[in-house]
Amino acid sequence: MLEGLKKKIFSVRRSLEESVTEVSPKDDSGRTGSVSSQIQEGCVERDETQGPLDLSLTERQGDQKQEPSFIRKVSTLVREREFIVSSKNLDEPLFELEMSLLESDVALVATDAIIDHVRKDLVGSKRKIGRSIDDIITKSLSDALLSVLGEGFDLISYIRNHPRPVRILFTGVNGTGKTTTIAKVAQFLTKQGFSVVLGAGDTFRAGAIEQIDVHGKRLGLKVIAHQEGSDPSAVLFDTVAYAKAHGIDIVLGDTAGRFHNKANLMNQLAKIKRVIEPDLVLYVDEAVAGNDAVVRAQDFADTVGMDGIILTKVDMDPKGGAAISIAYAAKKPLFFIGIGQGYDDIVAFDPVSVVNELLSGDA
Amino acid sequence: MLESLGGNLKDALKKLAGKTVIDKAAVDELVKDLQRALIQADVNVTQVMQLSQAIKHRSLEEEPPKGTTVREHVLRIVYEELIQLVGSPVEISLSHQTILMAGLQGSGKTTSVAKIARYFQRKGTKTGVICADTFRPGAYNQIKTLCDRIHVPCYGNPEEEDARVIVRQGLSHLSGVDILIIDTQGRHALEDELIQEIIDLNDITRATHRWLVIDAALGQQAREQARRFHEAIGIDGVIITKMDGTAKGGGALSAVGETGSGIVFVGMGETIEDLEWFDPPGFISRLLGMGDLRALAERVQESLKEDEIDPNALLSGKFTLRDMYKQLEAVNRMGPLKQVMSMLPLGGMDLPAEALDGTASKMERYRIIMDSMTSKEMDDPSVISGSRVHRIARGAGGTPEEVRELLKYHKTMKRAFKGLKGGDRNMQRLMKRFSRSS
Repeated sequence: MLEGLKKKIFSVRRSLEESVTEVSPKDDSGRTGSVSSQIQEGCVERDETQGPLDLSLTERQGDQKQEPSFIRKVSTLVREREFIVSSKNLDEPLFELEMSLLESDVALVATDAIIDHVRKDLVGSKRKIGRSIDDIITKSLSDALLSVLGEGFDLISYIRNHPRPVRILFTGVNGTGKTTTIAKVAQFLTKQGFSVVLGAGDTFRAGAIEQIDVHGKRLGLKVIAHQEGSDPSAVLFDTVAYAKAHGIDIVLGDTAGRFHNKANLMNQLAKIKRVIEPDLVLYVDEAVAGNDAVVRAQDFADTVGMDGIILTKVDMDPKGGAAISIAYAAKKPLFFIGIGQGYDDIVAFDPVSVVNELLSGDA
Repeated sequence: MLESLGGNLKDALKKLAGKTVIDKAAVDELVKDLQRALIQADVNVTQVMQLSQAIKHRSLEEEPPKGTTVREHVLRIVYEELIQLVGSPVEISLSHQTILMAGLQGSGKTTSVAKIARYFQRKGTKTGVICADTFRPGAYNQIKTLCDRIHVPCYGNPEEEDARVIVRQGLSHLSGVDILIIDTQGRHALEDELIQEIIDLNDITRATHRWLVIDAALGQQAREQARRFHEAIGIDGVIITKMDGTAKGGGALSAVGETGSGIVFVGMGETIEDLEWFDPPGFISRLLGMGDLRALAERVQESLKEDEIDPNALLSGKFTLRDMYKQLEAVNRMGPLKQVMSMLPLGGMDLPAEALDGTASKMERYRIIMDSMTSKEMDDPSVISGSRVHRIARGAGGTPEEVRELLKYHKTMKRAFKGLKGGDRNMQRLMKRFSRSS
């Protein structure tokens, strides 16, 4: 996941590093070897920074283009390791980063948010001593990505600590892979020792009931279904009732794909929610989706709400930037990613390890 | 958010208005906004960069033809470059042919197959469908159900696991049809076995056309996917699906660029009739979030008889029930109001979703209810009191709630149109033009 981006981020890190100049009065102590003679255009002028520092002078004259709070009152020690980044020097590497994100299908708004985050972070804030420039850049990128990706979610312990049956409803636009995902999640949960029942809540699309029915048979799971065209709320209500009567742990409710801009279909989803009162509403979208991922995730979050996200078809698009877009738009954790056509092709998503992997090593 | 982007672009264009000399800063700004709009519409990043370079270069280098303003000059260049990007629509022949459909999982192949079958059927050709999706459970049921609805023969065999076998059987089974459409399983570029399968299917069927189905929401992956499909079977047409959502379909342009083909059809909804011709200017307008004047003008021309809607009345905010009645009649012919409205250059104007979402049957009910109103009520809805509501409801065989709902809908629409008034001269000119051209 997020392959390709790693390589590019590495190169961006390099060029960012080049534009970050460490200013140190005793340049032999600079860990990264950046000495004041390397100060680039746009950075603090040498004269100002070299003598015992007059902070206010540095702030005013040295770096007029920067944010006013650039250098604050810090100890002499810290001052020796002040990193001075001018917005201008960042432009090129950040543009490079922007392009990499966009090419990885991170939507424009999410890309903007990440770039802003990094820029604000690198320009004009205090630095702790004893860290290499690369560390600081890595930290900044990692912060930016994690701030967008959010925290993960431990579904298993959630289910363990929750009264039965746990009702999980799947929503999303057409063709993102809801029904397939339900089968995979069912398999995942069954392997964890839970009992599962499926509700064939997609009563609209021709063949949808047969589809989930076949999945149920293959996985040895009960599927509650009515006829095509029937009320999905009723189907899912019956599914919950079945789970209660038979002591089943988890209800997985399918719904028909629908576009967020169709008010009547969204209202239908709201009705389903009222009727079965799901514990978790999971929104399913696909890794190959571009900028629209943001629009629809936001709309689904606003109109019917969501507790988590499942990203499908990650095998199709190993770059998977949509994960960042959707998590950014919905501000909800990513539960799983789907990585293939088999029932086991689903992986719990852990943002920290994904970001670490992304920023690790030398690409 | 997208609307505001369209707005930015319009602002940037506005800045060019009234200028006599090309202003580099203004062009830069325009190009930057254009880039953002196109990237947000999922056009390939590299394509966007090339396009913007070309626009910048031409805008600054080329001499504007005499008599054109700077704005017109730049707009023309932008339009020409974009048209080139979009490619030309593919001609659809009605002669004997076999069409092989290909695409990613969940892109909407099966639904498109049914829609295309319907298209050819309505042209009076003998059409048949083979279901070669042996993987997805329910796939055969899906296409069979859809084909049964329109009485198009559909060959498939859910027991058979080899798509090649099914297609061979299907070919002999449906040898009498003129147009044969083959639905295939979803696959993606990295699945070598499945790519081989579609190469085999292409060989077996000796398909006349190989159309690639692209989801309007497909992002930067479109290019790579299209490249692989093209390499495998030689794509000669692209179908964009799910354009009834909010996605802009920029990914399809990468597919067009990568395959050197054009767009054949555009899927615009969930019913079997929701298939449209590809209209390059309309597509561009949508891409940029700006209204498509031309397509609307044409549609209005086709479907409005004279004096059916008085645009001036709409804009003056004097939108009576009578206007709404005419409008509903017109909408019946023009397609859902939402589609019509999406073509208007309304920019950031927010019409309440409910106002646009009226289903056809509801609109029909409204019309019937209005048939039970007096002329006076139609011209001045404010006279409709409680007892009149009951009378109208009885007359229309409905409930008072329905009548009140209709009145509420009318109010919403009235407010929406009043919002249009807001001094936008272009809008008014546009509306006038419609009334003249109709």
